[in-house]
Amino acid sequence: MKFVCMKCETFMLFQKVEKPGEDSLGVMFECPQCGSRFSMVTNPGETALVSALGVKIGGRTTAPEAFELTRGTLKESAVVQPDQSTTSTSASGGGGCPFSSVLSSMQSGTSIKVKWSQEALERMERIPDFIRPMVKSGIEVYAASKGYQIITPAVIEESKSAMGGETGELQWTPGAQQRLENIPSFIRGMARKEIERMAREKGLTTVTDTMMDEVKGKFGQYMGMGS
Amino acid sequence: MEKDLKSILSRIQYPDDARVVQQIVDQTLQVKTRMGLIRRKLVVLSGKGGVGKSMVTVNLALAFARQGLRVGILDVDLNGPCVPKMLGMKGQRFEFTPEGAIPPTGPLGIKVASMEFFLKPDSPVRWKGPMDLSPVWLGMMEMSVIREFLADIVWGELDLLLADLPPGAAADKPPAIVGFLPELDGAVVVTTPSEVSTEVVKKSIVYARDVGIRVVGLIENMSGFLCPECRAESDLFEGSGNVQELCAQLEVPLLGRIPLDRKISQACDWGIPLLEESEPIPGRFKEIAEKITQHVKMKR
Repeated sequence: MKFVCMKCETFMLFQKVEKPGEDSLGVMFECPQCGSRFSMVTNPGETALVSALGVKIGGRTTAPEAFELTRGTLKESAVVQPDQSTTSTSASGGGGCPFSSVLSSMQSGTSIKVKWSQEALERMERIPDFIRPMVKSGIEVYAASKGYQIITPAVIEESKSAMGGETGELQWTPGAQQRLENIPSFIRGMARKEIERMAREKGLTTVTDTMMDEVKGKFGQYMGMGS
Repeated sequence: MEKDLKSILSRIQYPDDARVVQQIVDQTLQVKTRMGLIRRKLVVLSGKGGVGKSMVTVNLALAFARQGLRVGILDVDLNGPCVPKMLGMKGQRFEFTPEGAIPPTGPLGIKVASMEFFLKPDSPVRWKGPMDLSPVWLGMMEMSVIREFLADIVWGELDLLLADLPPGAAADKPPAIVGFLPELDGAVVVTTPSEVSTEVVKKSIVYARDVGIRVVGLIENMSGFLCPECRAESDLFEGSGNVQELCAQLEVPLLGRIPLDRKISQACDWGIPLLEESEPIPGRFKEIAEKITQHVKMKR
């Protein structure tokens, strides 16, 4: 779903996401040109309808498991449920949709009940407030998948390593690296993952200036990528 | 002047950052890839419930398997699966591998996929989700489950896949199946000798044709009664539901008639299928399979 600013003739950009209620999302958008803002609120039925399509919002980084939807949605199943940690990681790690991790925790059917230590909460305060819910949800999904009861700074570090686990294999040319640095810091990590995912899809081992040109055409407008 | 959304959208680039469309395309491609290994696909349907679709499906599969064909059964009756019980396969499970779900193999090497293989004994199908909020959600969920049955099962190469559809003259399953399987070879329609049944079945044939399903022929189940002592056949419902008239009216071949038989009924209940063609009912199904082969080329 996209929103168009009729005045400026451009797609509105995601600004932040909130969870106003169980299985509901409040998503705020802003026009990049005139600054107009509004919020879209989904109800649980709408959230569930998307999950019934058997897709992961934001895309996948790994292939779906056989009968992933059937096994994951049956109330009483005699067979093993699909690996939720794989499901969560793929959804939260996949794609440019900034609230995929929030949705993935809803799609997995698990109500995440982990607690936060005071130190971990203080650390989250350093993250800009408009992406804090997304980051928190991502860490909660990770912690739940590992069976942690309390999120500590150590768990935050671990989740960062796990989510960035794929990034080590690819090389970046100096030019591409410089252009990555031009992306605002609060979304640089997400952009890096997405660019590397696209590079892998193309069978590349190095992210080059050419690759960055392609990426710019796709979502440079969101990321302020300079050439 | 009010701006025109259509022209605005034609000028700006749509970012599919949720990647939903791409995943649905991928799902469709996966169904095509799996189904590409299966030579012929037939559905067994009827508008009427309780006419014996599953019994017909199972015995047709056995008849084709006896001819040496590699046969699979897809039990699409998600809420009332009974194919595994009839083939003595209750309690069996899929084997999940990175390549997909391996279906259990039953008598004569028939591969079977059924919702039953996911369920605990006596458990109905119950989903996590807003069933109370939205019947639309339930419909979409069932379509996705059928799509997984078509996309995720490692059938390997098969000569024939028979899909046992749930009842419903104008339900959502036939068009969904056609949507997933545009290369479907046709439908075998089951009826019983009653006017109530033939009336509903007539609607389902018209509906099947409307959604582009070719009707291969009609089978009249419970057409009579086979005496357990002398094996003589007698009418049960005299003069009811003239199936030949129905076939002539709709220009559908009559593939065969299957009488009630205590032996076949017990075989289905006990999960010990009758395999000998010398038995009257397997003999009838042999003839029906041969007739179907005249309409749909089965041999490799």
